Amino acid sequence: MSSDRYSRQSFLGLDSQDLISKCTIAVVGLGGGGSHVVQQLAHIRFQRYVIYDYDVVEESNLNRLVGATLSDSFAETPKLHLAKMTIFGLQREARVRGFSSKWQENPEPLRECQIVIGCVDSYKARQELEIACRRYLMHYIDIGMDVHGKDPPVIGGQVILSSPGSLCMKCMGFLTDETLAREAARYGNAGARPQVIWPNGVLASTAVGLAVDLVTNWTRSDRIYAWLVYTGNENTVRESHTLRNRQATSCPHFSNADLGDPVFREL
Amino acid sequence: MSIQFKLSGALYREIMRDLERPHRFAAERVGFVSGRLSSLTGSAKLILLTRYHSIPDEYYIDDPHVGARINSEAITRAMHAVYHGRSTREGIFHVHLHQHRGEPRPSPTDWREIPKMMPGFQAVGPQAAHGMILLSADHAAAWVWLPGQGEPTTSGSISVIGVPIRVFEREVLR
Repeated sequence: MSSDRYSRQSFLGLDSQDLISKCTIAVVGLGGGGSHVVQQLAHIRFQRYVIYDYDVVEESNLNRLVGATLSDSFAETPKLHLAKMTIFGLQREARVRGFSSKWQENPEPLRECQIVIGCVDSYKARQELEIACRRYLMHYIDIGMDVHGKDPPVIGGQVILSSPGSLCMKCMGFLTDETLAREAARYGNAGARPQVIWPNGVLASTAVGLAVDLVTNWTRSDRIYAWLVYTGNENTVRESHTLRNRQATSCPHFSNADLGDPVFREL
Repeated sequence: MSIQFKLSGALYREIMRDLERPHRFAAERVGFVSGRLSSLTGSAKLILLTRYHSIPDEYYIDDPHVGARINSEAITRAMHAVYHGRSTREGIFHVHLHQHRGEPRPSPTDWREIPKMMPGFQAVGPQAAHGMILLSADHAAAWVWLPGQGEPTTSGSISVIGVPIRVFEREVLR
């Protein structure tokens, strides 16, 4: 392989390629967001992956699923397979552990990761991933988009970074008991959410940018938490006002006492 | 048997800061760090380091033949940490710093002295993993006495989950 391949990203640091190749990264959900994420990670030279998706390609995915073709919808190709093809097409030596299941059915490989990128649909799923990341010491990056209203529709989205020892999604004000309860009350009646490719691309790119910064710290920002708000109608990504106004400095929801496997304590 | 370690960036900085401090007579400092045993795929293990136990200056013994020697009170404190961590399978790891760059390796003194502590730790916390962690300026390595094991297993990697993320791997495994 030519040494020129990564010359354009050498500004990330002298040892950046080594750091990136040693990082084990998980992508949970390989649909509209996750397919973008995996593609970019493979271009950058991430080598170690743990990926989860139990879905297959359907015709309704083709408006946004990167790498999917008409043939995949006819063949009902597993999204996991598409992601592996993308990775191995760029990184032949990659170590990919893929699971056609929910991550909860194969949680152990996730624990080996240093970064988890969650591309999941519900608040509950986000909360569960964040809890796992806190228990087993992993940075968690969450992406999601939604479309609200009709006149005109408003595209919104978020990219959140939650790291062990820093603010969690509850501290930031993103996850609240109300949003979780409202979602639980809608269970089974949520319907298909609107999804388009370009917001997913923006959110995935922002998430990958955070991941690369975590690995290389090329910005020297030492950033360990973030809530970035995407406003699709304005084509902007800005720091969340909610987070800025909270002025929280420490997380009361997770502590080192909660690391590792949950244990039963006799009373 | 694959064993991986993880610790937060904050804990890593706390350990390094403490061990880099000069001592009045000891040539180096040592410490203990608690770690919880979890499972990975197959027989692989994950050890999550939770908190650091700095050793007070007065618990060092002036012995010019070794870099640092600690007294029985320091060992007793480590035993207490193991005792109180039994319900969470939290063991204890002797940690010290070698002042060089690159992958650290135990000195003959390390191999002679540190393993002597393990049977005591295993007696108090038989379900936990115990061992020793060696740090250098930019690397780390660990040896683990798993429950019921009389000999150590070399850890495959130590990940520091901070910014930047650091993944210290044994060069021989790369």
